[in-house]
Amino acid sequence: MNDLVKENKLLDTVINSFKIEGKVIRDCRVEVYADKNTVSSILLFAKNQLGYIHLAHMTCVDWIDQGEYEMIYTIYSPVDKITLFVKTRIDRENPVMENIDTIWDQANTYEREMREMFGIEFPGLIGEHDFILEDWDQIPPMRKEFDTHKYAAETFFTRPGREDAKDVRDEINKRSGAKVPEFAKKYSRE
Amino acid sequence: MENDKNSQKIVDYIQNFARKHSLFVLAYGTGCGAIEIPATMTSRYDAERFGIRGAATPRQADVLLITGYLSTKTLKRVIRVYEQMQEPKYVIGFGSCTINGGMYYDSYNTINGLDQYLPVDVYINGCMPRPEAVISGFVKLQELIMAGRANNGEKYRENLEHYRTNQKKIIKNWKMPDYNW
Repeated sequence: MNDLVKENKLLDTVINSFKIEGKVIRDCRVEVYADKNTVSSILLFAKNQLGYIHLAHMTCVDWIDQGEYEMIYTIYSPVDKITLFVKTRIDRENPVMENIDTIWDQANTYEREMREMFGIEFPGLIGEHDFILEDWDQIPPMRKEFDTHKYAAETFFTRPGREDAKDVRDEINKRSGAKVPEFAKKYSRE
Repeated sequence: MENDKNSQKIVDYIQNFARKHSLFVLAYGTGCGAIEIPATMTSRYDAERFGIRGAATPRQADVLLITGYLSTKTLKRVIRVYEQMQEPKYVIGFGSCTINGGMYYDSYNTINGLDQYLPVDVYINGCMPRPEAVISGFVKLQELIMAGRANNGEKYRENLEHYRTNQKKIIKNWKMPDYNW
């Protein structure tokens, strides 16, 4: 039905221009893995040459085991109708990433949020340091080593009756005697 | 003396009756619960037949309706609003989030249990409570007012230290005016 012609053409263009890796995920989804220094050139190239004019999303994933943050830039072309993901890994110890709000203004908001939630520094980023959180004196809350349960238990008042926080699925199974399906066992809290 | 007591009773009755039938609700929506308020106010459920209607500013309002989760950032504003309101003032906690945190019970940024920070008159359970439940909560508040038991503004003033301790535990950078009620 669809032999992914335009997706492969885009992938070839990008990986041949920058000598990077990438793959076609499915129709209308292409991703490339870039070095952190080439990301802004890829984004500029995609915006100016290929017509990927829309920054749809920009996010960060915490890979605590590998000691890295993964930055994901999602850009979209209204002509090709393809979503291109540009992914890069940055060091977790000293997270610094290039500021791209000169390319897209709306990146400023995402970057301020990431600075607050993950502690990633963007040199040259304009904006107050307090963005969503107020008076925050802990480590950035979206980092995986931040223990949300412990923090909430220490800071807020739990109402009696809520502290055990039973697993709904386990409770239902216990009362009705139903068998737990194999895939559900790994989500159990017991 | 006996006569005085009786006449005071009559005055209280009239006063409570009047208060009960004109509950001005501050139009301040926090969280997702604010979406139920238009349904409650408009023609199908028509809350105005109970005397419940919106007020534009805190100083004109009687009821502070906390509709849903409160982030710590919003809590600061809510406290400021509550302290600006004139007595008699009532607080209604709306939805599970105000009762025990609801689905945000382990969040780093939303409070669990509103009554640790502000005195709450009536809690309405549900996620979300339907307009019937909201009206039922208001009727409960009216009963409390009629029985003379809805005096939480006074309670807040008397136990201000307790509430301030809890509030300052969360709001570390306390730059708010102190009112002398």
